[in-house]
Amino acid sequence: MTAVVTDKNDDRVPTRIEAGIKVKGAARFAAEIPIQGVMHAALVQAPLASARIRHIDASKARAQPGVVSVITHEAMPRLNQGAFLALLREPRVHFAGQPVAVVVAETATHARRAVALINVDYEALPAITSVTQGSSEAFAPKVAGRTSTDSRRGEPEGAMAAAEVTIEKRYTTPTHNHLALEPQCVIAVWDRDGAGVTVHTGSQAVFAHRKAIADGFGLSVGRVRVVSKYLGGGFGSKGSAWLPCLMLGIAAARHVGRPVKLELTRAQMFTLVGRRQETIQTLKLGAMRDGRLVAMTHDTVAQTSSFADYADPVATPTRVLYACPNVATSHRLVRVNAPQPNPMRAPGEGPGSFALESALDELAHVLKMDPLALRLRNYAERDQHVDLPWSSNGLRDCCRVGAQSFGWARRPIAIGTMRDGHHVLGWGMAAACYPVYRMASEAVVRIEANGTVRVRCGTQDMGSGTYTVLAQLAAEALGVPVDGIDVELGDTALPEGPYSGGSMATASFTPAVEAAAGRVRQRLIDLVIEDGESPLHGLSADQLVLSDGYIRAGTGNAAERLADVVARRAPDGIEAFADAAPDAAPRYSSYGYGAIFAEVRVDVDLGEVRVVRLTAAYAAGRILNRRLARSQFIGGIVGGIGMALHETTIMDERLGRIVNDNLADYLIPVHADMPAFDIHMIDEDDPHLAGGIKGIGMLGTVGTAAAIANAVFHATGRRIRDLPIRLEHCL
Amino acid sequence: MNPFVYRRAIDPRGAIDMAARPDACFIAGGTDFMQLWKAGISAPNLLIDISRLPLTAVERHDGGLRIGALARMSDVADHPEVRNSYPVLAQALLASASPQIRNVATIGGNLLQRTRCLYFRSGSLPCNKREPGSGCGARDGENRLHAIFGASAQCAATHASDLAVALVALGARVLLASQNGERALLLEDFFRLPEAQPEQDTVIAPGELIASIDVPAAGTWRSYYLKVRDRASFEFAVVSAAVVLDLADDRIRTARIAAGGVGTRPWRLRGCEAALIDAAPNAATFERAARLAGEGAQPLRHNGFKMALLERTVLRALQAVRGDL
Repeated sequence: MTAVVTDKNDDRVPTRIEAGIKVKGAARFAAEIPIQGVMHAALVQAPLASARIRHIDASKARAQPGVVSVITHEAMPRLNQGAFLALLREPRVHFAGQPVAVVVAETATHARRAVALINVDYEALPAITSVTQGSSEAFAPKVAGRTSTDSRRGEPEGAMAAAEVTIEKRYTTPTHNHLALEPQCVIAVWDRDGAGVTVHTGSQAVFAHRKAIADGFGLSVGRVRVVSKYLGGGFGSKGSAWLPCLMLGIAAARHVGRPVKLELTRAQMFTLVGRRQETIQTLKLGAMRDGRLVAMTHDTVAQTSSFADYADPVATPTRVLYACPNVATSHRLVRVNAPQPNPMRAPGEGPGSFALESALDELAHVLKMDPLALRLRNYAERDQHVDLPWSSNGLRDCCRVGAQSFGWARRPIAIGTMRDGHHVLGWGMAAACYPVYRMASEAVVRIEANGTVRVRCGTQDMGSGTYTVLAQLAAEALGVPVDGIDVELGDTALPEGPYSGGSMATASFTPAVEAAAGRVRQRLIDLVIEDGESPLHGLSADQLVLSDGYIRAGTGNAAERLADVVARRAPDGIEAFADAAPDAAPRYSSYGYGAIFAEVRVDVDLGEVRVVRLTAAYAAGRILNRRLARSQFIGGIVGGIGMALHETTIMDERLGRIVNDNLADYLIPVHADMPAFDIHMIDEDDPHLAGGIKGIGMLGTVGTAAAIANAVFHATGRRIRDLPIRLEHCL
Repeated sequence: MNPFVYRRAIDPRGAIDMAARPDACFIAGGTDFMQLWKAGISAPNLLIDISRLPLTAVERHDGGLRIGALARMSDVADHPEVRNSYPVLAQALLASASPQIRNVATIGGNLLQRTRCLYFRSGSLPCNKREPGSGCGARDGENRLHAIFGASAQCAATHASDLAVALVALGARVLLASQNGERALLLEDFFRLPEAQPEQDTVIAPGELIASIDVPAAGTWRSYYLKVRDRASFEFAVVSAAVVLDLADDRIRTARIAAGGVGTRPWRLRGCEAALIDAAPNAATFERAARLAGEGAQPLRHNGFKMALLERTVLRALQAVRGDL
């Protein structure tokens, strides 16, 4: 039933089809699109966390050669307010770093220099600069991600009181920033008559951006085109979080009547394009001596901005991952004069699984039970949160395959026994789950008279391999090599495709592309069967196969090139459109699963923690391309290593300012921090999911931080509940 | 960046003559300077490119070693004499930055790099070192990585160079050239305490050029550099220690220890040295000496852990020098 795919790459699995042009520098990212006469925008940012603008003196800047315009809230065109902070709307500062004016100039250098010449007179206002400071005003948001704010099943309080063992712990995770390699950039080109606009930008959602732009500027969507051919990563920061500045760039272009380019700096990426919100989580577990969970509560307090609400679905793993009859969860927000949080890779599930999977490790220690056995003891036979059966649940397979490959059975239960000179080794594990999301998608597949196959779908490739899997889907259906397939994506002129976010792009477009390709295939088969000139004339559809660019009889030598069929019978090409949408009322609950096993090495005197090796096994539906999937999982895991050991955005609470807004001081793991990766994919055949795809982008980031923290405990006996783990925690 | 004049010097004398104005600045590898310039922390009107001056040699001198100020970090780290006789130097260099940066950055530039203090590096936060009189953001702010030795009310920023720590432990001298001729001084005295002028990191005068670094003869010295940091590579020291010992006849003849990440300049641990000199090089001696490392420290709110960490780092480095590891 399940086939385990191990860590070895297979030469037959396609590499990224766009890799060649990226390596040669021929792939043009948004900032590299050449636009005649483009002007350059630069932002004036407020240095205070909360203030009112009394006056902006831009006279010196305006007098500079090369400066075209300085736009402040007084001159800013009024946009129809969307569900985001419309910048330059009012003389009010909500967080340090907020743009208060835009300079447009002939060159980027002119624009930047003019920024320094603008004097803004602020009246400082009281500011809330930390979650702790504002915690008395915590409130319940309307939703937590796509889930309910609170949940309750059974009688958690009574069950907790009756439990044989209880633990109650507080865990914290800091603010993180996405920091994709490619900074956000927009080049806006308005039509001569101002009635429409073309927007080149790195976007995780060209259609959602098109709609927001159309709404904001009062245009019909038909007059707005958003193009995003290549992205240098996104991790959540090139979706709605990018909208405020994206709109600013487009508005600036309309204001000056010329094309305008606005590219963010690295420092601006710490304040203007979202962040993973800081969380304070309280977890209570009640269990029987045999390890059975009888009660769980998980209460999260998290940061949001002073002007909008956003809550990550932190409690999702607690709600669904384990069988437990009595569970209550809640999400609360605190308004802080700080940048707006938004989803970042494994939003909620990442920080939430750190708390849950750490707490389970603590419980296992109290029970003197193997942490893996504790997970398996509490395997959930169905989704108790929504009371539905699983479409499939591969958690046990993940645990078995991962544990075996890692050698978990040899783990000593005692703490700190694996000494190696000045170091001590520790082994920790965690389980992971991430929900399967899907949205509607359209696709067009086409074969030309010369045999060229084209796939057109308005989704995006964040660098993770969407071009390649779109080609693979068509190649497989039409029996043609992946190499020659022409894939078009990242453009609202194409059929509407899904977001690249929430691990849902592939799950969403696969059914549509497969259906469209299937229609082209069927049309090809029909053509040869009915064509007296074809050597395949008169055969039935089930006697024909498509392979290597030919259509052949399953037995015998009769065959014909696809290109010849098309050229003769359909010289304009064959094209098929298809769309696919998820069920409105699903009858099954769908998640991808994982089990992560980490070995850490801690210097007993100096406190340095390094991850030595990391085994992870994932059951996430059908894997289209194992090479790219492995890369995705590793990318997710590296995010988890960063969460465990490195990443934190530091706010000086007196100043309300972020003080490490650069990649020298915001640490991310470097190559030397990479463990030996041992990745396993359990190929699932989920009959209840169209296309069988579960999505894998987020899963690697779930559970990894807990597995590492649990390994640190196993090595040192130190239970670190506040991320990131620093060497001083282990001294 | 401000508009500026660029000139390339072809010999040291020419460079010095060009630099005889207060708004001039030398540039060699530029790995730190370009960051400072882009961030608006430096704004020279005259940029003097010294990268082609013939100051790149690493050669024997007076029984020791003379390292040209423009020698690249990677070249010095790979130099056979450095590797064989001054392991502390090679180790400190290889623990610095990344291979790409070491291939470009020069020895002189490394010594003149500015602090990594978050408040200094961010163009508009309060910082007396960047903008005298604007206050110190770090003393009562985010000071996990700041100094526990040598701070003043105005500044608690650490000196970031690993190389400087190793060179101070080796008793290196720096040779400065100017229109007034040359002067040599101990590298240890080249770096200033912040006191009331934290904007002055060193005693170098305007227009003065670092010509070379002279490292004394190594003789029978043994040495080691140990760097403790928040990730495995490409990161500055949380704490580091450079240890130079001369061991003979079961006796420590000389001991020089400098620490990084703890002081406002590379910090000599004279108390530790005194406890080592003339003692037997055994575990008890090393432990006794290392325990003195944190003596006199004045930790801030977030960096108290550095006292214990420094003791352990020194102890580990001493053990490594003796070959216990």
